[in-house]
Amino acid sequence: MADKIDGVKLALLSNRLEGISRKMGNTLMRTGRSGVLNIARDFSCCILTADDKLAAVAESLPIHVLSGPDMMAATMKEYHPDLKRGDAFLHNSPYHGCSHPADHTILIPVIDDDGIHRYTMAAKAHQADIGNSIPTTYHGTARDVYEEGALIFPAVKVQENYEHNMDIVRMCRMRIRVPDQWWGDYLAMIGAARIGERELLALGREVGWDTLEAFNEQWFDYSEERMVGAIRQLPAGSATRTSTHDAIPGTPEEGIMITSTVTIDPDGGEVTVDLMDNPDAQPCGLNLSEACARTAAMVGVFNSIDHSVPKNAGSFRRIKVLLREDSVCGIPKHPTSCSAATTNIADRVANPTQAAIAEIADGFGLAECGAIIPPAVGVVSGMNDETGQPFVNQVFLGLTGGAGAPEADCWQSICHVGNGGLCYQDSIELDELRQPIFVKTRTFAPDTEGAGQFCGARSAYTEFGPRVGNLDIAYVSDGGINGPKGVRGGLGGSVSGQYKITRNNEREDLPNCAVVTLVAGELISSQSCGGGGYGTPTERDPESVARDVLEDYVSAERARSVYGVVLDAVGKVDAAATTKLRTEMTA
Amino acid sequence: MRFAVDTGGTFTDLIVEDDDNGLHMYKASTTPGDPINGVLDSLKLAADDFGLGLDALLAKGDLFIHGTTHAINAIVTGNTAKTAFLTTEGHRDILVFREGGRMEPFNFTVPYPQPYLPRALSYEVPGRILSDASEMAPLDEGRVVEILKELKSKDVEAVAVCLLWSIINSAHEDRVGELIEQHLPGVPYTLSHVLNPSLREYRRASSAAIDASLKPLMSAYMHNLTGRLSDAGFGGRVLIVTSQGGMMDAVDVAEHPIHLINSGPSMAPVSGRYFAREDEGSDTAVIADTGGTTYDVSLVRRGRIPWTRETWIGQPYRGHMTGFPSVDVKSIGAGGGSIAWVDDGGMLHVGPQSAGAVPGPSCYGQGGDKPTVTDASLVLGYLDPEFFLGGSMGLDLEAARGAIERDVAKPMGIGLEDAAAAIIAIATENMVQAIVDITVNQGIDPRDAILIGGGGAAGLNSTAIGRRLGSERVVIPEVGAALSAAGAMMSDLHSQYTRTFFATSEAFDAAGVNQILDGLEARCNAFINGPGAGSISQTIEFFAEARYPEQVWEIEVPLASPRFESDADVAALVEEFHKVHEDIFAINDPESSIEVVGWTASVKCLLKETESGSLAAAEEAASADGTRKVYFAETGYVDATVRRFEAMKAGETLPGPAIIESPFTTVVVDPGATAERRESGSVSIVPGVAPAAK
Repeated sequence: MADKIDGVKLALLSNRLEGISRKMGNTLMRTGRSGVLNIARDFSCCILTADDKLAAVAESLPIHVLSGPDMMAATMKEYHPDLKRGDAFLHNSPYHGCSHPADHTILIPVIDDDGIHRYTMAAKAHQADIGNSIPTTYHGTARDVYEEGALIFPAVKVQENYEHNMDIVRMCRMRIRVPDQWWGDYLAMIGAARIGERELLALGREVGWDTLEAFNEQWFDYSEERMVGAIRQLPAGSATRTSTHDAIPGTPEEGIMITSTVTIDPDGGEVTVDLMDNPDAQPCGLNLSEACARTAAMVGVFNSIDHSVPKNAGSFRRIKVLLREDSVCGIPKHPTSCSAATTNIADRVANPTQAAIAEIADGFGLAECGAIIPPAVGVVSGMNDETGQPFVNQVFLGLTGGAGAPEADCWQSICHVGNGGLCYQDSIELDELRQPIFVKTRTFAPDTEGAGQFCGARSAYTEFGPRVGNLDIAYVSDGGINGPKGVRGGLGGSVSGQYKITRNNEREDLPNCAVVTLVAGELISSQSCGGGGYGTPTERDPESVARDVLEDYVSAERARSVYGVVLDAVGKVDAAATTKLRTEMTA
Repeated sequence: MRFAVDTGGTFTDLIVEDDDNGLHMYKASTTPGDPINGVLDSLKLAADDFGLGLDALLAKGDLFIHGTTHAINAIVTGNTAKTAFLTTEGHRDILVFREGGRMEPFNFTVPYPQPYLPRALSYEVPGRILSDASEMAPLDEGRVVEILKELKSKDVEAVAVCLLWSIINSAHEDRVGELIEQHLPGVPYTLSHVLNPSLREYRRASSAAIDASLKPLMSAYMHNLTGRLSDAGFGGRVLIVTSQGGMMDAVDVAEHPIHLINSGPSMAPVSGRYFAREDEGSDTAVIADTGGTTYDVSLVRRGRIPWTRETWIGQPYRGHMTGFPSVDVKSIGAGGGSIAWVDDGGMLHVGPQSAGAVPGPSCYGQGGDKPTVTDASLVLGYLDPEFFLGGSMGLDLEAARGAIERDVAKPMGIGLEDAAAAIIAIATENMVQAIVDITVNQGIDPRDAILIGGGGAAGLNSTAIGRRLGSERVVIPEVGAALSAAGAMMSDLHSQYTRTFFATSEAFDAAGVNQILDGLEARCNAFINGPGAGSISQTIEFFAEARYPEQVWEIEVPLASPRFESDADVAALVEEFHKVHEDIFAINDPESSIEVVGWTASVKCLLKETESGSLAAAEEAASADGTRKVYFAETGYVDATVRRFEAMKAGETLPGPAIIESPFTTVVVDPGATAERRESGSVSIVPGVAPAAK
């Protein structure tokens, strides 16, 4: 047993591990080939201990890493008990800990000079294509994994002694629509994980593996203590909130209602999220993997408390997530499809969880973030007539969805609750260069914010279509009926919507889940969900309302009717009239 | 005689180069209200030192080089011009959407940032160019004129224009420029494709917006500066340091003030490169400039000053991207004023909060009561309370001890000195991580770099940083306390031109690329014959911004030959790209083709024959040599040798534990390390290893 590690060394070593995961993330970001990776930053890197506990995470998509990598690392060990330096494993099985099949993950065991497995490095990246039966990585209507069509890799060895297993590479190249892009992304993941391995080996040699083992446990204890401290700031209580995913083919007509019951126990220093009371798995691609069900609940909790609590296996000890087997948001059984597990239903778990905490504890929690995936964030594909090459890529043109918070307005471009806003938004020029599309407009839609003392996001409004030839756009847009709700008196954010604009400039309604084919001259219109507001709109600082009006986000009429703020002819707050109106409104 | 003045947040540093190439260093306080006063104050200090009147001193000068934070301060304090933004119809919110991205995904206390220019002053211009340069919809000039009339009625002071695809067909943007001249005569404006012809509309728009908003202020500043210097007796040339690490004439830089965003800090790597070469014969160096609140880090690699296309004003994603290449200097919140605190889990943190210059560390006795890195240095005996800034400011040791005892030692249950040592250790680690980030991002092992310490507080923990990084040598230049001003004295006239032109190695359009390179070279030659006229020597270098197909982040690859004459030239570029990619990212894909999206020519004109980084021999200062008690974590209190910086002879070595002091800086030589004075005047330290713990 190594010496007890003091607070100084604890800080030093945690910085070192974080630095290593950051370095992995930088490598992945800079070298990836698909837009979803190198533009939308839909990837994550983390470090797990030899006993599969999450130790360090670079700034990564929340839905990717809180829970899941632990299960994946355990699967790797179970299937390959004799791990050797130079091994690498490809993992995307939602039945074995991966988030969803589109998230190819490279796992690399870090083996010390004596052959002992010390850590596992994980680099996960959403792929542009994974060989699904249709050209999208979110096959929302797939009845099961067979209709979904993804190649599933339950921790399959792809490198031995640092050499690729070209059999597997060739299999992927035969099935994945953009084989060169996939190969580039695969190399980027391998590179990231190998860089992490190299650094960690150096760290182990420098400080000693025993010291690192001791560090792991104390780091978890420290993080747990911070978590307890954060939970003790909240009052005791329990609340149940629901959130309903709009109906799509394969779901009941009324959609899928998710119920989350949150119980806060400050004395015990624990938060429980109960997801047991939910529908069975559905014959569609929306079911959650176990990783996403757990993580979504945890995202809801971490969004609600002191953000500086470290996210690792130590703080996780203080969150209990209750899941049921074969539930739409529980533990799925093969061949249930989990194609869109990171987004749609996952959001319907995280949102009511954070909203429930807001209802229990004023000054904590978060309103609901908007749902996705609208057409402006869909997968576009087709044949590029100018180059003769097929293309398929997810675009990130216009999305918002941020929720009002206890002390601040939303972060507009949160993307969706499981993304945390890390996602980039595409450059119009870059998108028009990469594929033959034309983006007519991308702007904020007026009067669409989730009004509150602190406001949720406005909708992003986008129109785009093919510049030449045909364009297929695949999307699964939730939130057209069930928009993001506000909390503590805050109003809901605007709902999503989409329609086609014909060459004659006529509107044609489109379903919320489809693959739409457009010809040159036609456009698709996409409106993203806004986000819910936190607190009553009539409590909002009148100067903030005046600024929103001046900036042309909010009409003077809405300022009056929703916020109770009266502006004079030059847009300044009429304080007396505002006080009077607000008194009347709250009477 | 030449003058180099760097106006920083707290101090205005002046380096004077006398006619024998000897340097003289002065520090005056910065005067934020009218920074030119601080400039003149520093010159008066020099005039006194030379025993001359200010006019007599200035009359001897032929070159005045200036780095200034005036532009960035104007942005941070909101003192820029009322500026309108004109863009393509349908895309009014380019500056609001930005490029997305966020830091700290669980932190909901920070709201979405306001755009650089107000949305209320953003206007949509009908007309559309497509990605193939064709015109989809013509420019609606009538609407443009209406907008311009509205701007006039709103007393708009500057205009930024960024239309989609103006980089490949600038007809619409050019026409909008003409209409502005016609309808808003005298109102400065910036066209995005002229200023920053690069892909990605947000970056280009942001460049144009920032540039236009600075034009009224910075042209007035430049006018004022040259006028007042001239009134004071200066008859030479006034050059301004740019974000790109070069210099431009004051008149020219007023036309493109965005180049001033990083003016000043960009010069630290220039002098760092000089000292790495001069003192250690190395072309790879990490330059770390320690200020009161920030720690600025940059990396010189193979003798080249580092670049970034991603320069942020403020924090990444929360601030504004300049969209402009700049010397890559990363800044973190760590410095002498960084505050130490213990969280409720019992873990010690240092920064990012800072006591700043006001109220300052506890030991300043100016109202600050938080324990800082400076306080810890005083408690450990690194700093002499009687000899801080050459004795011009007394330090309150008891206040420092009290603050550390109360806020760190007690909560952690450790002794006072151990607490102080822990503060230094954490600050050191934060700085180390900043260095690791910047080196790693560029694929450099920090162990292979010389560490150059600049800034008055650099010497306190540079040995410790070097030890932690595994550096072979840590160099503290004698002019380190004014590293940027010293760098300005060494820099060249510089300009850079970029064109977007897509090429792929699979079907390389050599004729097309060569035509682009011809155009770039012609612009370089115009620079050489214009601002560069009379320079001693000139160099032009070409670069490709290249990537693998489908990647979106390019890396910069130098061209071995200035034109593509044969397939072998193309093959050489591809080969070099694979090599650089592997250097940086540990992988490459040698089977893959490569794409080039942009071409850059960089021109430099050398203004002087020799560089120097040595202070002219000063009078032997009253010796403070002796010993004092200094505390190190590994050894506890030891008797450390104290030596005056300027009294050390070239070649003289000094084993740690030791303290080397000058009026401008204090260098701590840890036990196990050895310091040596170089010919240039620098102190060069071999960090060595720490003795076994006590």
